[in-house]
Amino acid sequence: MKSRNLFIKILCVFIFLPTLSGCWDKKEIEKKAYVVAIGLDKGENENLVITYLIANPEFGTQQQGGSTNEPPHEIISFETNDLISSTNKANAVIAKEISYNLLKYLIVSEKLAKTKNFIRWMYDATKDKDFKRDTYLIVSKENASIFITNNSPKLETRAHRYFDFIIKRGIETATISDASLHKYLRITEADADLFLAIFGTTEKVDPPSGDDMSDNIFAGQLKVNGNTNKTQFIGSALFKEGKMIDQLTVEETRITRLLSSVDEAPDILTTLPDPFNKDFKISITITQLKNIKIKMDVNKQPTTIHVHLPLQVDVLSDHSMVNYASNADKRNELKKFLIERFNDKFNQFIKKTQEEYKSEPFGWSLHARRKFATIAEYEKFDWMKSYPGMDVQISIDIKFGHFGRQSRLPKLKDVRD
Amino acid sequence: MQESKGKIGIREFIAIIILSTGTKLSDDTPTLLFKEMASAAWMAPIIIGVITFIPIYLIIRILSAYKNKNLAEVIFHLLGKFFGFILIFILLLIIFSALVVDSAVYTNIITSMYFSKTPTIAIYALLMIVCVYGAKKGIEHIGSVAWAMTFWIKISFIISLVLTFFHGQLDFLFPILGNGQWELLKGSILKSSIFADFLYLGFIFPFVKSKLDFKKGIWISFSFIIIEFSLALAAYTLLFDYIGVRLMNFPYHETIRYIEAGFLENIETFFYPFWLVASFIRFTFYLYLTAIIFGSLFKIKKYEYLLPTLATLIIFIGLIPESPTFVIFNLREKLLHFATPFFLILPLLLWLIAKLKGDLNNEKSKPFY
Amino acid sequence: MLLNIIKKIYSSNKKIPRFPEKSNKKEIEIKSQKIYTNLEQTISTFKELYSFPINNDVNFRTFDIRSLNKKAAIILIDTIADMKIVNEFVLEPLLNNSNPTGKVEELLSIQAISKVSIIQHAVDEINKGSAVLFIDSFDYALSISVSNIHNRGVTSSENEIVLKGPKEAFTEESSINLSLIRRRIKNENLVAESVPISLRTHNVLYLVYIKDLANEQLLNNIKNRVKALKVDSIQNLPLLEQHIEERKLSLFPTILYTERPDRASSYVEDGYIVILMDNSPDCLILPATFWSFFHISEDHYLRFIYGNFTRALRMLAIFITLFTSAIYVGITTFHSEMIPPDLLLAISATREKVPLPATIEVLLMELAFGLIREGGLRVPSSIGPTIGIVGALILGQAAVQANLVSPIVVIVVALGGVCSFLVPDISMNFAIRLSRYCFIIASGLFGFFGMTVFFTMGLFYMVSLKSFGVPYLSPMTPKYTSSKDTLFRRLLKNEIFRPGYLKPKDMKKN
Repeated sequence: MKSRNLFIKILCVFIFLPTLSGCWDKKEIEKKAYVVAIGLDKGENENLVITYLIANPEFGTQQQGGSTNEPPHEIISFETNDLISSTNKANAVIAKEISYNLLKYLIVSEKLAKTKNFIRWMYDATKDKDFKRDTYLIVSKENASIFITNNSPKLETRAHRYFDFIIKRGIETATISDASLHKYLRITEADADLFLAIFGTTEKVDPPSGDDMSDNIFAGQLKVNGNTNKTQFIGSALFKEGKMIDQLTVEETRITRLLSSVDEAPDILTTLPDPFNKDFKISITITQLKNIKIKMDVNKQPTTIHVHLPLQVDVLSDHSMVNYASNADKRNELKKFLIERFNDKFNQFIKKTQEEYKSEPFGWSLHARRKFATIAEYEKFDWMKSYPGMDVQISIDIKFGHFGRQSRLPKLKDVRD
Repeated sequence: MQESKGKIGIREFIAIIILSTGTKLSDDTPTLLFKEMASAAWMAPIIIGVITFIPIYLIIRILSAYKNKNLAEVIFHLLGKFFGFILIFILLLIIFSALVVDSAVYTNIITSMYFSKTPTIAIYALLMIVCVYGAKKGIEHIGSVAWAMTFWIKISFIISLVLTFFHGQLDFLFPILGNGQWELLKGSILKSSIFADFLYLGFIFPFVKSKLDFKKGIWISFSFIIIEFSLALAAYTLLFDYIGVRLMNFPYHETIRYIEAGFLENIETFFYPFWLVASFIRFTFYLYLTAIIFGSLFKIKKYEYLLPTLATLIIFIGLIPESPTFVIFNLREKLLHFATPFFLILPLLLWLIAKLKGDLNNEKSKPFY
Repeated sequence: MLLNIIKKIYSSNKKIPRFPEKSNKKEIEIKSQKIYTNLEQTISTFKELYSFPINNDVNFRTFDIRSLNKKAAIILIDTIADMKIVNEFVLEPLLNNSNPTGKVEELLSIQAISKVSIIQHAVDEINKGSAVLFIDSFDYALSISVSNIHNRGVTSSENEIVLKGPKEAFTEESSINLSLIRRRIKNENLVAESVPISLRTHNVLYLVYIKDLANEQLLNNIKNRVKALKVDSIQNLPLLEQHIEERKLSLFPTILYTERPDRASSYVEDGYIVILMDNSPDCLILPATFWSFFHISEDHYLRFIYGNFTRALRMLAIFITLFTSAIYVGITTFHSEMIPPDLLLAISATREKVPLPATIEVLLMELAFGLIREGGLRVPSSIGPTIGIVGALILGQAAVQANLVSPIVVIVVALGGVCSFLVPDISMNFAIRLSRYCFIIASGLFGFFGMTVFFTMGLFYMVSLKSFGVPYLSPMTPKYTSSKDTLFRRLLKNEIFRPGYLKPKDMKKN
């Protein structure tokens, strides 16, 4: 008993000693600098230029002990070899230990994303303890360092809030695609599909010629006036085998989201030319009613894919005053028009993927897996090789939902009378 | 009032098995299975279950024939002093090395996933201190703690599974047979010693309240673990795809880092402590088992005094390999392959000898549970 | 070297030094003699025993009993005996009655009369407040029970307050306490067995149990343990508790202490054993499990859903008390990736100007809260509330403004502190508060890993505890047949078993 007590006492001394020293993994929360977003650019040779967007925790808090006038964040750029050793290098300038705890956004310049070696750096992310797989992958048209510096949101001054809101909202409206690092790694590893990253820019680009104010635009092409942030997140960057190959417009991004068997399709609000009056346009909401049905026959030569897409369309504006709600013929006419137009657009894009990209971003390869019993057979089939030659057919089924809150309109003649 | 005799009831028994064997799905055991079976790995536990059904059944038959004898005594009784000694010595070696290797793996998980700068020895020592403390309290209290925590541990695990299924993609389970049915069968047989713990449960047979409890407990927990294991492997595949999951060291921990629930983005906090408690209980039980086998091998009555020594030994051996993630991973695979024949053949052998000796006859009329 | 020194220091305070003591062997000898037939001698002996003129409240009255024609004397201590009764029913009949009858007992119109024949017993009776009548040439004395020890009446319970249900509490007089229990259990099998416990002050305790329920082995175990006590004086139950508990250094209490007779009697009905004692406005209930400390009587008085709701709140409160501060320390020093970004930045911002590491900061605040709490307890009730809560608030506010602690720490510590009041039992309350400090330190050392280590070890410790042979966490583990009233209670109609770990003689309640 006596010796046991003694043992406990000595043990206590040894246990309490480290409390005072504070070593190992112990790091007080305020002694770290939190990186919210990392920008990656191509440096000289095989180097990277890394940009840190570091949040200032004190910004915007009201404290009893006195608040600060410091800016919301701090940005530094420097050249480095990888994503991990850079944390120590940054300490030449930044006073606190760099921490990736808050890191959720990885911004890569288009130039870097198009290089062959891009994927090597991406695997750095799987090594570090604090790098999370749900980090968003954003491709910027200009250099990432410029993107981060130029980006100055007016209302959501705290960077993590701004990115969080704008990206989540963009995914909801389907102007961009849901692109996490996890997805990038998974699709690249599976070596069958294409990956879509978020595309953004702070530079103004001239919109395409023509009167079409449609969704056929890239990032930077949306004309915005007024005193606001220059950043636009529009469309997506297309990755094949871990390397960026092209850029998709909003429309193409939306088609991808609709045809995808992996992602849930969001409600898409868009405008189309009015079939009854060339001068006007109609606004519609497209909702995917059920998951798309894919029928695939891998035994046929070439493989056939039949995709069935049940959609609900809500017509929200009626500038030609057709009164769809009360006119069944016009409704049918509209339906026919819509199906034709969608089919057109879909087929056009699918043809582009088959001919230009030689693979698809819809995740259909996953469906092909079901047709094979073993991995060896599936690998022999080689989705990426087979896809360009496949016979893809799309069938669309449209149901009309609402026709606006107030579905009936007055006769224009009577009003003008 | 009546002093308890150090026996555990069926609930505690089941809790111990579920925690000690079931926790394997959160270390690198899944990676071992994914390595060979890829997308079909989730079927492996079921196949292993079918394969190991017979040895486990035989073990129960043999033990029920000898009342109040643990497996070591039965082996001595059946094989005689010399062969019995050798056999138990091998069994001891297997469990001891399993304990060393597994505890090194867990320490490695803790250091690489959560405490990257803390010296391994500190984590390892702390882990072993808990285990020695727990094991010293005896099987009854290990059972009690296991039972008190099982519910919560499994709740947290089920939540993580459900969330994973929400995030996952069912198509990843295909091609359904992975690398082919033969690979699947071969891999399953080679790795069937994942369930070898059930053989070792024979050593605590006398501590279970009744024979019936022992049988029932084993079968209930056996089926539970198979289902749980299968679901977990399926969940990892659903989330990461078979290619990604093969690259990971510890899929469970990658999973709990990735999943999120509503506005809570980093919920690994919620799962990590429960996983820790489960692993503590697991190693406590292993340590206790090792001490019992050691005790019955060398006829040491007060085997609890062996625990600190054993634990110290484990730490020092466990710390030897450098870059533990890979060395230990390979060691673990070899160990599993080495243990498999023992696990599959030993019960059959014992059963045959017992049959020849005629010890099993009085058990025939008993129903099978 | 160091070891030896520590050992020496440690062992030195174990020796019992010899004191110059004066023997009172002579008095003990006198006391063990029979009562003298000579009245004069008796009186002088007693005067000596009670150090007569110095001892102010001892009363010697000599007189003649005319009917017997003998001299007699009454000895009593007038502060604890009722002089009025003595005058009216003892002295008057003896002095006035002149009819020669044979027996003195017939003259006295008082019921409780007993014969004592040894001086020691007579002394005991006098000490209890009886009047002892000595008559010349009798070899025995008559003890007349007229004790009138001053008491508090039965008041309402102050420390275990309920909104619904009986309000009364035990008082310092054990006979009243016993009557409070008897009033609830009208059964001839309810036994109140008295057991003397101390050597010098002659304290007596009452074991209260139901004869055909309580397990004999348990009863004997308790009796033996009580009888084995060799202590001069045990004034009351809290002291007794520390004498008879199994693990005196254990963090957790193993004997339940309550001041509510309704609670005591419900335990008695379940086959537990209750200890009552004079001078203690409370009782001890043994054996006790973790759950008995967790429950309060109101859980059962409230309707099923309400009762369980309070249970759920209490459990939550225990968890908050145990873990919030530790979790805060763990998160801020080890696991900052685990909190949502906004909270992380908020905490980081508030800690920016705080000079202390989080562990020390939290420990400091905890200590301050503990001090305020203990201080508040001893403050006279008229100024108590002002200093207690307001003081704490002002202290917290000022500390934050001075950048000594961060506001979040004040919230965390205050939350834990407030929640600790939901733990009803004072011993369990201490146990939980003390473990909270341990959790904070464990968390400061190894983050959540350290906390889990401590938690697991604590759990192992808790399940290995036993209260008079009953495992601490039973009937949860190890399992026993019971009404399953552990974390949550069942419907009353389903609570049909007495706890199996007590091995009662009748398991089923009807």
